[in-house]
Amino acid sequence: MPDSATKRTEGAQKPSHVTALRLFGDYLLMLLVPTVLAVYYYGLRALAVVGVSVGAAVLTEAIFSAVLGRSYYVRDLTSLFSGLCIALMLPAGVPFYVPVAASAFAVAAVKMPLGGSGAPIMPAAAGFAFAAVCFRTEIFTYTLRAEQKLLGAQSLGALLGGGNAMRLNAANLMDVLGGNVAGPMGTGCGLLMLACGVYLLMRRPRALLATAGFLGACALWAAILPRSNGGVLTNIVLELCSGSLLFAAIFLVTDHATLPAARWHRVVYGALCGVLCMAMRRSGVFEEPVCFAIVLGNALRPVLESILPGGGQAQRKEARA
Amino acid sequence: MKEQTPSFRDLYLKSAVLSNPVLVQMVGLCPAVAATASVRCAVLISAALSLDLIVTCVLASVLMKRIPRAVRVALYLGIGLALLCPLLYFIETRTLMNLGQGTKVYLPLLAVNAVTALHCEKVAVKKPVRMAFLDAAAVSLGASIIFLIVGTLREVLGSGAFAGIDLDLPFTLKGLSLPFGCFILFGFLAAGLQAISPYLRQAQEEEPDAPAAQPQEADPQDDLWSDILEAEAASSERLAALDEFTERLIGGEEDAQ
Repeated sequence: MPDSATKRTEGAQKPSHVTALRLFGDYLLMLLVPTVLAVYYYGLRALAVVGVSVGAAVLTEAIFSAVLGRSYYVRDLTSLFSGLCIALMLPAGVPFYVPVAASAFAVAAVKMPLGGSGAPIMPAAAGFAFAAVCFRTEIFTYTLRAEQKLLGAQSLGALLGGGNAMRLNAANLMDVLGGNVAGPMGTGCGLLMLACGVYLLMRRPRALLATAGFLGACALWAAILPRSNGGVLTNIVLELCSGSLLFAAIFLVTDHATLPAARWHRVVYGALCGVLCMAMRRSGVFEEPVCFAIVLGNALRPVLESILPGGGQAQRKEARA
Repeated sequence: MKEQTPSFRDLYLKSAVLSNPVLVQMVGLCPAVAATASVRCAVLISAALSLDLIVTCVLASVLMKRIPRAVRVALYLGIGLALLCPLLYFIETRTLMNLGQGTKVYLPLLAVNAVTALHCEKVAVKKPVRMAFLDAAAVSLGASIIFLIVGTLREVLGSGAFAGIDLDLPFTLKGLSLPFGCFILFGFLAAGLQAISPYLRQAQEEEPDAPAAQPQEADPQDDLWSDILEAEAASSERLAALDEFTERLIGGEEDAQ
């Protein structure tokens, strides 16, 4: 097993049983489902975006490894995972240079310099955040096949951010849960994300503690500080199903290298990411700031572990593992 | 014995490349990050840094060798402000140059740049004027080259232009115009420098005419300690001389009695 994979599994409950191949194999298996749905909704254009993004990530890692004189292990699936995550968070009609830049940044500026597969910052989240800063218009424009969508080219995030309650009243919750609204090509279907969550519950139940904290904090925020004039449940569903929030809760917050070791630290870490995300949704300039929140949460994780009770013990356990 | 002055090439290799103030010593990052979003701003910041560094180092070498350290450091700041504030005023009032907000703020702040204080204290006040000038010139050249590289990359990739001329690129990475993009570029440049440093050191050692390897320069903290120890030794010598003088005086008085 490569060194990077060993680093990746540091801090895991059973490091001897969890390999990078198995871990990211599971994630890639889960990601296949939203990919198929994206192709169903947006046609071959979605597949092209996925191919370009994954190809850029793998090629960047291969070039970087060649420059550094290291061997590139194809079995280290993290680049594939990062490229696929980035592609699924983008709109299907995005120009091809956007996924290329995002994936290349994720691998070349985050993953490789920060320790390879065990990078303490989630590469996919950082790559998407970089692309959001650089290509804000391209990333938050959902015009491809917009005529087939419930609310046209307007995404839920844009409607919530603009306080457009009248148009949101037309939204059927089942359509929203089914992903029949404009948005990122692979993250809109809430029901599918729940199915992925159930699979993750069977495979890595402890990782879902962070997801629970994340979604709990987001739901609580949506209930207390709603952005539409619907009922509490409607507000929560609209907030959770808009943008890439559910996708991030399943695939990005549960990243093995960035999760704290202790169980309740994971809940607090997830809640911190959720609060940051909702605060930025309410006051920030971006329609979907979840990746910024996760990158900030990654950076704050060591501080969180050091100030929370049990941090020292957890760190010793991690060191022993 | 007269101290052998190293050549500018050796000084440049040592002070500007192997100990580059921006990429290796990581000093003076504030102006570099905030004010190098374009080539023009990078040129301006480089010129201002070179002017401040060279003039302050030369003045420190000529005038400040006998002034206490605490006063000297304040004087570096005063010299820097006396140079840079009029320069900013001149640019703003007498030229048509449009300084960005970052440059406007950070140009006078170069006066409190750590590069100036560090090199004045490490080299200028301990060496002859020529050596202080050469060191300041080499260091400012090393920093300026990095500023220009970063400014060029940020303007071309971040804004799709070079020195204000639009290059019609199909897309730009606006993130590189922001401070975080500059830090990332610094990281890659520093990694590249680290990668080629061993070859440069090897080439310097294999140079037939190269002077003998200089002992590694002491840390500024060590300099401070050595100054304190020297001061203590000098004061002990003075006290011993005073005691001797007093004893002699008392002895003479006793003899007279």
